[in-house]
Order: sequence, then structure tokens, then C-alpha cells
Amino acid sequence: MSEPLFSDSFLARTLRRRSFFRVVGATVATSTLLLAGCNDNTNPDPAPTTASLTLGSGDNGLLNYAYLLEQLEAAFYQKVVDAFPADFTAEDKAAFVDLRDHEVIHREFFRYALGTNAYDSGGTSITFDFSSFALTTRAGVYAAARTLEDTGVAAYNGAAKLIADTTTLRLLAKIASVEARHAAFVRDQVQPGSFAASDVVADSGDAAGLDTAKTPLEVVELIAKFVPATIVATSLPTS
Amino acid sequence: MDFLKLLARLAETNTQTLTVTGPRRTALRRLAQAGTAVLPAVLTALPQPAAARDSRTAQDVLKLALVLEQLENEFYTQALKQPLSFFGTTENQAAIQTIQRHEQQHVAVFTRLLVNSGATLDAAPRFDFTGSKNGTQAALYPDVFTNFDTFLRVAQLLEDTGVRAYKGQAEYVQFDNFLLESAVRVHSVEARHASHIRTMRRQRGATVKSWVSPSDAPITTAGSVAAKAYAGEENYAQYLAGNNLVPFVDNLPINIATPPLSQAAILAKVAEAFDEPLDALTATEVASLFIY
Repeated sequence: MSEPLFSDSFLARTLRRRSFFRVVGATVATSTLLLAGCNDNTNPDPAPTTASLTLGSGDNGLLNYAYLLEQLEAAFYQKVVDAFPADFTAEDKAAFVDLRDHEVIHREFFRYALGTNAYDSGGTSITFDFSSFALTTRAGVYAAARTLEDTGVAAYNGAAKLIADTTTLRLLAKIASVEARHAAFVRDQVQPGSFAASDVVADSGDAAGLDTAKTPLEVVELIAKFVPATIVATSLPTS
Repeated sequence: MDFLKLLARLAETNTQTLTVTGPRRTALRRLAQAGTAVLPAVLTALPQPAAARDSRTAQDVLKLALVLEQLENEFYTQALKQPLSFFGTTENQAAIQTIQRHEQQHVAVFTRLLVNSGATLDAAPRFDFTGSKNGTQAALYPDVFTNFDTFLRVAQLLEDTGVRAYKGQAEYVQFDNFLLESAVRVHSVEARHASHIRTMRRQRGATVKSWVSPSDAPITTAGSVAAKAYAGEENYAQYLAGNNLVPFVDNLPINIATPPLSQAAILAKVAEAFDEPLDALTATEVASLFIY
């Protein structure tokens, strides 16, 4: 199961035919109107009309950013739980149910915290695209989980200093270490002993012993292939 | 230090990157100032506990971090003097080597931050990982360096405590992007270590998840100082700004298993999904078990 594309609007129904148009937000509306009259596939593709997903600014923007990451992770684990690879063990299954539940809890936590400030509070949601992953084998699933969890850890590490409110920082730190525990766990399943290998924890230089930190713009680039919309993160704080 | 040389070093310091070779202006100015953050008391369930004013400085934070890293570094360094038979497998030994290397690097990071900020380093403490305070009292972990399972229990205690301690300190360095980012990047490494130690223990038959769970078999005795390392971790109540309790208990659509989990079971998952901070005093108390 993936996140349902929910919308009962005329615009969304028009859009649903176009697979690259899965996010229906206010910023999409104008391009949609332009497209409404050109569904004829014999025409050349219309001018670039990628939907956008605008995270916003300040702490709210950062919460939306974390919310998007948790939605992505929750959708991934749900997809795995819905169709476990044949070579998954009972332990693997139990772990993935835990991982799914943690990410759903994080996702709903952020959704509640954001309220009407959530970028998708209008009742729409994203269908993520995991086609770049090979999810039919245990190895493929764990490798995918490693990619997503490492990205999450780096994202929280890069976002902490951008947060203004102390309560928000405290809450994100509570989640960040759980993500790091997830990351170490799935890494060990891919390759025993790789829980903190040098591709994620620098082994030399001034950052020796420090985990990876990535800026929101770097992370947005990494997750772009999973998100069928242009993520607009340019208003997020940068320092 | 020569004043002109100091000015020159300040000028070449880049606060946007992880360059820690020179003293940093904000660190120098603010390292010893009292923070204004509010420290929550031990978190339990409802209601939101009264907050106490805390006057910790960034320098206090760095010194606590340094002691915790010195403690961990010395713990793994002593273990690595044991023969391979202690670890059982080369994989186990290699994992401890990886963790020790990181702890050593963390000691270097916090030493550098303190020195470059003009602080005076305290002498490193003396450690006794049996918990006997150098033979002056009954040992808590007499076989810590002869029984790998005991060693892993102490390792889990130290790593989980480290994660909680960093989490509790982050807000006191929030005013400084560089210090905060350094701290959170160490914080997640400690969490990776804790997860791995837990995975190793589980593979050796212990009832423990790779994340802190109410279903973990306790590794401490109720009421002991060591038990404080886990006190409050079972908390599921999270508060947003304005004392706004997140309604995990009855409102949020988090119970999606088929069939649905019991309320106790879903709240146990909520507790797993959030690690809890530990205040400096408690972290120091736990560390002091191994310091004499």
C-alpha cells in the first residue's frame, strides 16, 4: 500500500492521468488550468509544468521538511510490510513492522504539530515513487532502507542548527537519534559491522568521528527521485 | 597568547564550516555565559513537569561531553587489550575497534573546541569500569573485561546514556550553530554505537531491540544509580510549544496494524519512536559509577 492520492476535485481527476502529476497543491492549480485543454497526446509535451511542493520558511518550513522525510520513510516501510520479500525472516518482518510504526508515529506527530501549516493540509498527499529500488529481495529492501535512513540522519543533523525554537529542537533531537539507531540497524543487516562505517562517519580531517550532516537543499536533491513534484525548499533557513 | 596573533586567528576562523583550528569569536565571548534555556525535569507521563531554570554554560556542556567521551574511549581501549577470545569473533573485535576510534576522535573534537575557545582543560578522571572505585567498594561489574556479555551490558549503558546526555545538552549550545552541529553529529554517532551494541547483544540471546524499548530486558537494578540511565525512557507523552500534549493516546491515526494493537502496545511503540534526554546531573551521576 502506498499513500493514497486523495482528492475529489475536478482538477485532480484531470491530473491523475498524468503520472508525473501526483501532487495537487495550490501552486499546481495554474499549470493545471493550462494543461486542461491539452490532453491530446499527439501534441508535443507541454512546457515544463512540474507540480511543486512548497515547504515554507522558518521553523514551520523545517517541520514540513521533517514531515516530508517521515512521510517518505513511512510510505517505504508500509510498502515493504504490504509485500515482504520471500527471503525475509520472521525477525526481519518484526523489525520492519517496528520501523513502519515508528515512522508512522513520526509522520503523524509532525502532521499534528503542523496543523494547518502542513504543506498538504488541504487534504492531498503524495504517492512516492520507489521504482528506483529493487524491493523483491531482502538485500534490496535493506539496501533501500539504508539509503533512506542515512539520508534521514544527515537531514536531522543538518537541520538542527536551523531551528529557532528550543522546544522544537528538543523534539527533533528525540527523533534524530531513533533514526540513527534505525540506520545502524539496517546497515548491519546489509553488511555486518557497517553501522558507522566511513561513508557516514568521517574517519579523518576536522570532521573525524562526526556523522554526516546535509543541508535541506542537498537532501531535497537526494530525495527528488522519490517525490513526483518539485520540492521548493528555497525559503527554508540556511543558518 | 599574543593578542595580535589571537586577532589574526579570529579573523581567519570560518563559522560556517567545520573548521576548528582557530579560536572562535562567539565561543570566546559566550562559552562561559549562562544559558537561558529551560531544563525539563525527568520526563514521565502527564502532566508536563515543572521546568527548572538551569544556568549551564556552553563550557559546562563541552566539559561534560569531554568527560563522557574520555570515559567511553578508556572503556573500549581497555577492552581492546584483551585477547581475541574475549570478543569471540573478529567481527565483534572489529566493531569495538570502530567504536573506540570514534570515541577517541570525539575526545579530540571536544578538547579542540575547549582549547580553541580559551578554556583550561581539567585533568582526565581516573576510571574503574568494574565500578569498585579502585577496590574501595564491592564491584558492580567484576567481570567486565573477562565476560563479553557483561562488557556489552556496560557498553550499552554507556552508549545509551551518551545519547541521552547529548540530547539533554543540545539546547544549551543552540545559540552557536557550530557547537550545536558538532554536538548533534556526535549524538547520532553515539546512537549508531548504541544500536550496534544492542544488535550484538540480541544476537547473543539478550532480549533487547536496537532502539530503546519498554520490552527490553532491564540491564540495571531498579532503584540503583545505573537505573537512572533508563528512567523516563518509557515516556510516551510529547509536548509541543505552549504545553500542547500530542494526542497519541486517542486521536492520532498511528494504530494501523491488522488487527490493531492494544493501547499499551501502541504506546510502547510511541515510547520507542522518541529517545528522551537526560539532564547533566543524572548523566554525571551515571558516569561517576566508573570514576574514582
